[in-house]
Amino acid sequence: MVKEAATRGTVHPAAFMYADEFREGRLSRREFLARSTSLGVSAAAAYGLIGAATPARSEAHMQPGGTLRCQMQIKALKDTRTADWSEIANVTRGTLEYLVEYNNDGSFRGMLLDGWEVNENATLYTLKVRPGVTWNNGDPFTAQDVARNIERWCDKEVEANSMAGRFATIIDPDTNKAIDGAITVVDDATVTLTLPRPDISLIAGMADYPAAVVHENYDPDTPNTFVGTGPYLLEEMEVGVRATLVRNPDFQWWGTEVYGGPYLDRIEYIDFGTDPAAWLAAIESEEVDMLYESVGEFIDVMDDIGLQKSEVVTAATIVVRPNQLSEFDGKRVYEDVRVRRALQLAVDNAVCLELGYGDRGRVAENHHVAPVHPDYAELPPVERNVEEAVALMTEAGMMDFEHEIISIDDDWMKNTTDAVAAQLRDAGFEVKRTILPGSTFWNDWLTYPYSSTNWNHRPLGVQIWALAYRSGEAWNEFGWSNPEFDELLTQALSIADADTRREIVARGEALIQQEGVTIQPYWRSLYRHYREGLVNVDQHITFEHHHYKWAMAA
Amino acid sequence: MGLFILRRFAVMILTALCLTFVVFYLTNLYPNLEKVAKTQGSQRMSDVEVSTWLASRGYRTMPDAQLLAGARSGDVPREEFSEAITGFDARLFRNYGEWLGLVPGYVIEGADGTVRARCAGHATPDEATPRFCGLLQGDWGYSTVFRNDVGGIITTRLVLTGKLMFWVMVLMVPSALLIGVLAGMREGTRLDRSLSTFSIASTATPEYVSGVILITLLASSSGWKIFKGTATSAAENATFENFFLPVLTIALYGTGYIARMTRASMTEVMTAQYIRTARLKGVSFRNIVLKHALRNALIAPFTVIMLQFPWLLNGVVIVETLFNYKGFGWTLVEAAGNNDIDLLLACSVVAVAVVLVTQLISDIGYVFLNPRIRIS
Repeated sequence: MVKEAATRGTVHPAAFMYADEFREGRLSRREFLARSTSLGVSAAAAYGLIGAATPARSEAHMQPGGTLRCQMQIKALKDTRTADWSEIANVTRGTLEYLVEYNNDGSFRGMLLDGWEVNENATLYTLKVRPGVTWNNGDPFTAQDVARNIERWCDKEVEANSMAGRFATIIDPDTNKAIDGAITVVDDATVTLTLPRPDISLIAGMADYPAAVVHENYDPDTPNTFVGTGPYLLEEMEVGVRATLVRNPDFQWWGTEVYGGPYLDRIEYIDFGTDPAAWLAAIESEEVDMLYESVGEFIDVMDDIGLQKSEVVTAATIVVRPNQLSEFDGKRVYEDVRVRRALQLAVDNAVCLELGYGDRGRVAENHHVAPVHPDYAELPPVERNVEEAVALMTEAGMMDFEHEIISIDDDWMKNTTDAVAAQLRDAGFEVKRTILPGSTFWNDWLTYPYSSTNWNHRPLGVQIWALAYRSGEAWNEFGWSNPEFDELLTQALSIADADTRREIVARGEALIQQEGVTIQPYWRSLYRHYREGLVNVDQHITFEHHHYKWAMAA
Repeated sequence: MGLFILRRFAVMILTALCLTFVVFYLTNLYPNLEKVAKTQGSQRMSDVEVSTWLASRGYRTMPDAQLLAGARSGDVPREEFSEAITGFDARLFRNYGEWLGLVPGYVIEGADGTVRARCAGHATPDEATPRFCGLLQGDWGYSTVFRNDVGGIITTRLVLTGKLMFWVMVLMVPSALLIGVLAGMREGTRLDRSLSTFSIASTATPEYVSGVILITLLASSSGWKIFKGTATSAAENATFENFFLPVLTIALYGTGYIARMTRASMTEVMTAQYIRTARLKGVSFRNIVLKHALRNALIAPFTVIMLQFPWLLNGVVIVETLFNYKGFGWTLVEAAGNNDIDLLLACSVVAVAVVLVTQLISDIGYVFLNPRIRIS
């Protein structure tokens, strides 16, 4: 079955197991690809394992050259590892590349890494550096660069370095830096990571948007100038106005031989603010060729005016959650599990999807693990039960308590929160809605007593748990702290085999549901509209812009 | 005359000082500074990180070391900590002095061990770093939103708004005067009634209403797609197609207003004694209007037109945001939305200057139009 030519070194044994599961119908193609590629199997080999051909890319229809204008908010660049918006990384991605790239079919493929291997209990990662890559200042890209970047990500002392959360396993809690000896440069082309305990999410972490690989002379204080390995250069960068990427003229990009591209000469990002109506006006008056994202009712409008649509189903979602630590006159109302359960039982998630997001997604089950995640375990469906909700709330003595639900002033997040509020009112609870403008909302998003937050897609279900549901985590907006859950999560994060992991994930899912941690009503589909004549500009599952794939149609 | 202008400038500087201090005070309230820290550092910083971040960059006094340690370890409760750090900080006065350039810029060793200085662009200073860097030294400060020098931003954006205002004036003044004179020369006629209705309607419609209506009717597939519903590209390359709608939106409101003023002034002049005399002498109606009435009738509208300038600065805030035209008004919105202290202060200085300079011009212009008035 496995063709020798298609595999580099040995194929991880678990990949064969996954392939069997796929054939037995226990795994979807997307899950199979996500799991096997994160174990170091190349995408081509993974397709080979299940006897499928790698999807052909429509190269014949592309022509080199051209300028593409894309609507996107232009936010100030900052130290790459502290980037908190996908938009920031999209501006730098043309130059600053990643070790690994995550694709819409759920697979990971090596960019600056040629490949990787993970040992059986996920405590030893062997990273193979891609040969023949050079920085655009002429320096060769070596294993030293990889090691230095991983060390950079592990520096927890840096304010708001979110990569430290993704690499928490190899960070020494005493020094707040990478553990001595965890990152080893074996030779010019090999780096090994030795983990004190198993962690399956490192490869996924390397593909995430703050994980841009920077040169050793990168200075976080001047984030607009950087040396990178990518085929584009940042020519112009004006916050709130525009950013322009141009093809680096005299640079031989490594990827041309490996993956093809780049095709476009120029990519112009133009900022049209936060109002989707302005985005519509922009694409309608042909000021841009493509939108960053199409949202809400505008999706239908844009379909009607004859634009091309690209859709991708994700694990991106919204949570409408109480914060268990917030106090009202000294009383922590949401610390009472009965109150939280009551709030959850009073809401029908399908209604939230319909009213909040126009049915453009899939109903979720309040535990923040999606069917697209390889470790998803199916639980009995959650149902609205107003009687039980009222009974619980009465038992807690909180029937006359007024819940203030805060949301940002946008389109779908506001509507979804409204749908929750309306259903709570229907159940007989007192609800007050507060809508804050985007500029002030994010100041306190972690500590609002009851509010909604959007969460981006992540490749593995346990990743989001590790970021937001573990006790004391920086982004734990639920104020939830549960030793039993932490214990389950630590276990889950150490099991490379997703089938075994699924049993533990199932218990975690059930625990989050029983504890009424949050209402997490649905999974969003993401959309993008663009004008005719563009190739390979599909919306990406995590909003990444892979510039080298984009092209004009011939 | 010289003394008059001098006195006007003194008033202008005093007003600017008062206004900027108010803006400075408001932008330096703790919640606003927190916003600055979070947009610049990270949205997801904790309270302790925010307080050390602010203190390391000279915004506030560094909180007590013990308190910080307590908050980090969790011994000091969150509420107590935030109460201790959010109050009034006397450093405000010093910072205002630094902004003016009267007090030397701060040099602080931050919590992370880096030495930062105001005059080195909030980075590590070297020998070449000057001691003072404020308005008096010609340094307008650094915009935290746009990551650029405020002086440069304000210049670029004012030029763009200037372009918008110029075309607004070109469209608005002649059409308003024409409508006003036509309506006012024969009071009560059908022409007067219909023109007056138009001017009242256009004045009564604010820009955010007329702008949206114009876009829907003239720039979307639900109406006629003649113009573009966004003026972003007009910043570099203004064409009739992408620039007419914003110009029209601002001009409509002002047109009605000035036309009403002109009409009132015109009808008053037309009933004056000397007009009746001229008519009795057999001067043609055309000559009465053009030679006798017009100059006197234009005195009042002239003041109104000059007063339109400061008002236009407000009008452009709405229109520039609506049409995504990145001029002064849009900058003001971005600066206010992100609590960009230096940029907001510069915007207020510009606003004060525009208001008082146009008033000065209108006072001087008055003298030329009306010989009876003398400036003492």
